[in-house]
Amino acid sequence: MSVADLGHVRTGHIHPPPDTFVKKYVFSLDHKVIGVQYFITSGLFFVLAGLLAELMRAQLTGPNNHVLSVATYNEAFSVHGSAMVWLVTIPVLTGAFGNLIMPLQIGARDVAFPWLNMVSFWMFPPAGILLFGSFLFGAPQAGWTEYPPISLQMPFGTSMWCMAIFLIGVSSTITGINFLVTIVKMRAPGMTWTRMPLFVWATGVTAFLSFIATANLSAALAGLFIERTFGVPFYDPAKGGSPVLWQHVFWFYSHPAVYIMILPAFGIVSEVLPTFCRRPIFGYKAIAYSSVSIGLLSFMVWAHHMFTSGLQHWEQFAFMALTMLIAIPTGIKIFSWLATMWGAKIHLCSPLLFVLGFLSTFTFGGITGVLLASVPVDIHEHATYFVVAHLHYVLFGGSMFGIFAGLYYWWPKMTGRLLDERLAKLHFWLMFISFNATFLPMHWIGLHGMPRRVATYDPIYASTNLFVSISAFVLGLSFLIFAYNALRSAKQGEVAGPNPWGGRTLEWMISSPAPYYNFDEIPIVLSGPYDYGKPLPYANIKPELATVPTH
Amino acid sequence: MASHAATADDALYTEVAGQRLLGFLFFLISDCVIFGSFIFVYLYIRNASPVWPPAGVERPGLYLAAVNSIVLFGSGATMHYAMEAIRRANVRRFTAFTVATIILGCMFLSGQAYEYTHLHDTWAGSTFGASFFTLTGMHGFHVFIGVIFLITVLVQTLRGTYTPMRHFGLTAATLYWHFVDVIWVALFFLFYVY
Repeated sequence: MSVADLGHVRTGHIHPPPDTFVKKYVFSLDHKVIGVQYFITSGLFFVLAGLLAELMRAQLTGPNNHVLSVATYNEAFSVHGSAMVWLVTIPVLTGAFGNLIMPLQIGARDVAFPWLNMVSFWMFPPAGILLFGSFLFGAPQAGWTEYPPISLQMPFGTSMWCMAIFLIGVSSTITGINFLVTIVKMRAPGMTWTRMPLFVWATGVTAFLSFIATANLSAALAGLFIERTFGVPFYDPAKGGSPVLWQHVFWFYSHPAVYIMILPAFGIVSEVLPTFCRRPIFGYKAIAYSSVSIGLLSFMVWAHHMFTSGLQHWEQFAFMALTMLIAIPTGIKIFSWLATMWGAKIHLCSPLLFVLGFLSTFTFGGITGVLLASVPVDIHEHATYFVVAHLHYVLFGGSMFGIFAGLYYWWPKMTGRLLDERLAKLHFWLMFISFNATFLPMHWIGLHGMPRRVATYDPIYASTNLFVSISAFVLGLSFLIFAYNALRSAKQGEVAGPNPWGGRTLEWMISSPAPYYNFDEIPIVLSGPYDYGKPLPYANIKPELATVPTH
Repeated sequence: MASHAATADDALYTEVAGQRLLGFLFFLISDCVIFGSFIFVYLYIRNASPVWPPAGVERPGLYLAAVNSIVLFGSGATMHYAMEAIRRANVRRFTAFTVATIILGCMFLSGQAYEYTHLHDTWAGSTFGASFFTLTGMHGFHVFIGVIFLITVLVQTLRGTYTPMRHFGLTAATLYWHFVDVIWVALFFLFYVY
């Protein structure tokens, strides 16, 4: 039966199949193609931003190296941070996974506004070009946070940084609106809120954060840009402005952004665990509602980044207490995941390995986060390598391990082919060990007082830094295994079939890769998705696709 | 069966319009955040400054702004009556009220242009000017977009695009216009009264 003959009212989002190459692969309206476009673009930016990190580590192999000049070193860490946050982690977790998986999981044929989705993607590559192109005009040197007054004194590259991040901010706002409307309005019949897969919960909360917080970032960036370009005084203390004001408006966005970068990874973990433990997720509602409470709390903690910026004591105390509150919903998630694994017959496949990596490193980063939330500790550790170690444990150990868990998990759905498990495991162990070898020692040199964002250091830290740099090079190389595995899978990967892992969410109930309209008939959802041991909770699904896993 | 087909079609329109309405509301919320962010900036700088307005800066006069506010709020009322008219399929009444709204919007913009050209302070001149021109300028730009929006839906209505049942474009335009009104309440209070 063709989709057009269904006679069902839910045909509103059907756009005609593309007839030209450009419509199919370039200006595509299909959420699955757009998802892959995000993956490829972010992947390229990931390589560039990763190379910048390796250059920084090359400079830091010895205390007085001259691999990079001091100014170039500043540019490298500023662009590395900005690119990893805005061009890699956020677009992959929202644009890529959200587009590729969320509409499939709610049983929709596309997102609510396919055309806006395309526009939103096409703001992203120009943003990346502006950001990396800023090297030609004197790249920003004040770190990814671009605090004034330094950011007001730098050459044109910093204005390009403003434009790039503004563009990516608008794109992310549009995507957020699009996704939240899709989730609220387009779930398959019978999919009540508490029958939604947990990745959809996470994507929904992230979408909400995206269009609220990111709008505020756009305003802050517009202010910085017009101050730099027209001399309009907002942040310059010499003209009556306030540099601390920038910190307020910037962190009012950027703390929610931390959760934009971690909530979808939480969602991925919540999908992978039940599949490979073959049992219902423990505490479904607790996990779902803790995502919501993390999202709301994230708006009330921004000033914990500013404990050394001259806040009042009562403000410091309030932000410390609110920040520590976030450990409660996060802890609820961690314990629910552990309880899901407790006593289960665990299938130790590559996605689950990355989830286990996520759980150990993210929990560690979460604990150093609670330490840093405490005002007296933070005043001591502020702007040292301890902070660098903490943020890489949550953003690399958390988000990046989550991203790879999701990539290994949904690769068969995306491409229709399997990745090689042995190479995947090799990738995991190399990445996990070299990650910890890179970032764990940074805690120690940070506690000793080595400042971050400086191109040189006291010779007493030399041996640790050399060890860190060598580990960082190995960490960089570990991604080559993934690249090789991906290329190999395209050429000679085993055909995956609709449901290689035995998942029970809706994306596994259709062929791989998903057909153009996703679902011939919109499925009807009868209960929640994780009830292993019970019959599948769907009607209108072809029975031959819903059978047991092959792998 | 024509009548049956029309029903399914109506249901589809309602569903799509519902999605667009929610999306448009989310857009307005994020727009509110942008204004809110700049209002926070204004209040922060004002609070940190020992004297306000900063020395040598003259605040814009209340009377012109008050007249302009009445013009803008009046346009909110005419917009409301225009929507009432389209619900009763009275296109002529709708046209009259929409044209009135557009004229009032243009009057507001002219008033703002007059105010801008007669102020001594400039955008880059002081911290007051920075926030004043940024916020009222953003608002004026929104009014300008709103006028274009209204002209577009008026032309569409005269061509018969909208019916009493199907007028999402008109709903969006009305919401947008009222939103711009509400933002002005905050700006008027902040810059002319407070």
